[in-house]
Amino acid sequence: MPLSRLLLLALLPAPLLTLSGCNALGVKPWQREILARPAMAVTAAPMDAAIDDHIYFSKEAASGGRSFGGGGCGCN
Amino acid sequence: MQLKRPPAQLHLGLMAASCALLSSTVRAQTVDDSGQPLQLDTDVLYYKENAGRVQTVEPVVSLKKDFGDLRTLDGTLTLDSLSGATPNGAIPARRPQTFASPSSTSLTPQPGKKTTLYTVAPGDLPQDPHFKEQRVAGDLDWSQPLGLDNTLSYGGHASSEHDFDSVAAHAGVSHDFNEKNTTVSAGVNEEYDRIHAHGGNPLPGSDYQLYEKESSQTKTVSGALLGVTQVMTRNWLTGLNYTFDHSRGYLTDPYRILSEVDAQGDAGGYLYERRPDMRTRQSLYWFNKLALGSPVLDLSYRRGKDSWGIASDTVDAHLRIDLGRGMYLEPHARWYRQTAADFYDLYLSAADPLPTYMSADPRLAAFAATTFGLKFGLSVGRNGELSLRLEQYQQRPSEQSSPLPLLQGLDLNPDLKATIVQLAWRVVF
Amino acid sequence: MSRSQGAPAASLPHAPDFVLASRESGTIAVCFAAMASPCELLLETADTHAAAELGQLAAREAWRIEVKFSRYRPESIISVINRSQGHAVRVDVETAALLDYAASCHTLSGGRFDITSGVLRQCWTFDGSARLPDVAAVEALLPLVGWEKVRWRAPHITLPAGMEIDFGGFGKEYAVDRVLSLVTARFAGAALVNFGGDLAANRAPREAPWQVGVERPDSEREARLLLEFSQGGLATSGDSHRFLLRDGVRYSHILDAHSGWPVAQVPRSVTVAAGSCVEAGMLATFAMLHGGEAESFLAGQGVRYWCLRDAND
Repeated sequence: MPLSRLLLLALLPAPLLTLSGCNALGVKPWQREILARPAMAVTAAPMDAAIDDHIYFSKEAASGGRSFGGGGCGCN
Repeated sequence: MQLKRPPAQLHLGLMAASCALLSSTVRAQTVDDSGQPLQLDTDVLYYKENAGRVQTVEPVVSLKKDFGDLRTLDGTLTLDSLSGATPNGAIPARRPQTFASPSSTSLTPQPGKKTTLYTVAPGDLPQDPHFKEQRVAGDLDWSQPLGLDNTLSYGGHASSEHDFDSVAAHAGVSHDFNEKNTTVSAGVNEEYDRIHAHGGNPLPGSDYQLYEKESSQTKTVSGALLGVTQVMTRNWLTGLNYTFDHSRGYLTDPYRILSEVDAQGDAGGYLYERRPDMRTRQSLYWFNKLALGSPVLDLSYRRGKDSWGIASDTVDAHLRIDLGRGMYLEPHARWYRQTAADFYDLYLSAADPLPTYMSADPRLAAFAATTFGLKFGLSVGRNGELSLRLEQYQQRPSEQSSPLPLLQGLDLNPDLKATIVQLAWRVVF
Repeated sequence: MSRSQGAPAASLPHAPDFVLASRESGTIAVCFAAMASPCELLLETADTHAAAELGQLAAREAWRIEVKFSRYRPESIISVINRSQGHAVRVDVETAALLDYAASCHTLSGGRFDITSGVLRQCWTFDGSARLPDVAAVEALLPLVGWEKVRWRAPHITLPAGMEIDFGGFGKEYAVDRVLSLVTARFAGAALVNFGGDLAANRAPREAPWQVGVERPDSEREARLLLEFSQGGLATSGDSHRFLLRDGVRYSHILDAHSGWPVAQVPRSVTVAAGSCVEAGMLATFAMLHGGEAESFLAGQGVRYWCLRDAND
């Protein structure tokens, strides 16, 4: 996939962003009871994710994506 | 009872102000946290590959302190102990092959230096059985709100092993709006590594027998991330991250060699690999959290591409199932595939001119990989948890054989199988 | 000089002290006292253990908010601000959000809603007697009233010496919404939070909508107004217990921040239903501030409301 196509895909969420008061895409504050569950957090198990990231970084060519912040290791 | 009319301007303004008040305090859930600001996570990972290959025991300890008002400090210490046989990049041959351990040391004894050699039987994949490595890594991360709708985070990392040192720093901001239904984030990352292989760094692309060295090398990685998270419905959260990173410096693996074979497939010599001194990577990561009643599905897809010609696709799925009484089960499945790097080859042909870049590192080959796992968790104490994760990882390279006469019937890049066991314990004070 | 202050960790006034009662139609009620009101949390469940845990959660949150924001408690952030004698006080994220809300409501009401008007309490005592203050006494306090005189730029608030602020106008409603949000994060069933008549619910129980009775004080009609309530907030502003009566003229405790005198022709009670309890409560308060225009104000907002007046108003 060429670079331009990849960047175009990155702009996809743009229509999702609206700034008009309470009536845009999403839920009201009092409707967040399910989203507030710990299992629904973006990274619900950060330790597992960090360990997995390290394993796949040392065994595969691609890495990361969800976030970054870790450093390097001599395993790749 | 009155008939409903379209909301007047004042009511709209009041609705917006009330929404803003309630959503800005939604995240600051302070009741349960008021007496529990310290969280300790202890994980032990046991990783073992098949055929006597790499195994590692890795304890990780993480301490997270909440200073109130969503200001948190996170410190992590990782200890990594690896051992086992690791392939050196050469392919099996029809006669015994002798190599130095590690491959960066000389085949011929050097005065005042210890030389360890190992011989590989005919037909066996050459792997260094003496591989041992210890690694210590530390991370420190800080996160705090910036005004009512923004978050600032930054942190650093440092790690050290016998032949590799790394320091890194990162910083990021995120902005919530649309009643915290939308979050946009941006971050940057900078890493600086020093590579000093056992016995000295071999000259990339040089002859294995000649033992030409160079001084210790460095590499830097600069990265950036742009992301957006969006609440779609009451039970569906989705997001998209675009990451970009650029590495430059010494990107070659100092321990990997390639076999140089003749028209029959007999290895006449070996060369150290040589990779470009630049690499640009991009990835697009799409993730979802979906509450299907009580179970929660985590589903993500990542597409990656880099300047070495490697393209990858990853699909990752976790399903968390609550069993009641504080117990849960979480099956996990992951599918991965990547194409080979432009300069990847199983081996070099002596007849062909020497390429500028070359590597036989299986991690740069084309392969498909799957992971299947199951995690079991149990609540202990107040907000604490004990969990056990068992996973099976398998890599299947697409190129495993050669048409050359002497190499017929030999598996030149065998499947990799690994077992992952992780025990985790969380305590909240 | 800026002093960094914040409410201390909630030192609960007493151990969680609540009563569980099973109601018909499969709901459990957890009752406790907070913010000088009888409070109850109604849960659509038969699990008394879960109800007790959620009740404790609700009570702790109500007390936390009370301890943090009550002007009667010397350690509350409100008291700290009111004692600051013109110095800037640093507030935390939650207090900042509430101050922003008060500022928005001040603007939306055209200045009628003002959290600095509490200082007028010094000359007004609404005990049902005929004692009205001197015009001069009220005039003397007017310079200490006015949100526009407060310097609020997050996270620092600077109150000129002698001025006071008070979250009493929406504190209880805010607590109701907060408790509901905390409960629904941990409870899958229908829940209703009711703090002395200010209430909010996440959804209706499976069997039937919540049946809510609103007290209708000194009225010759039915003793209670019965509402069917599914979801959102409901709040009532009332005037029946605090007023002055002189020469046949009733002076309500709802004061006009510009003149320092009570708003005329305030309804006996206003009940409003809206998306959240703070929203409902603020609409009811705005309606009271409109005095004789309360009904037409509410009619123009497109919400469900019930407005009660005395026969002789």
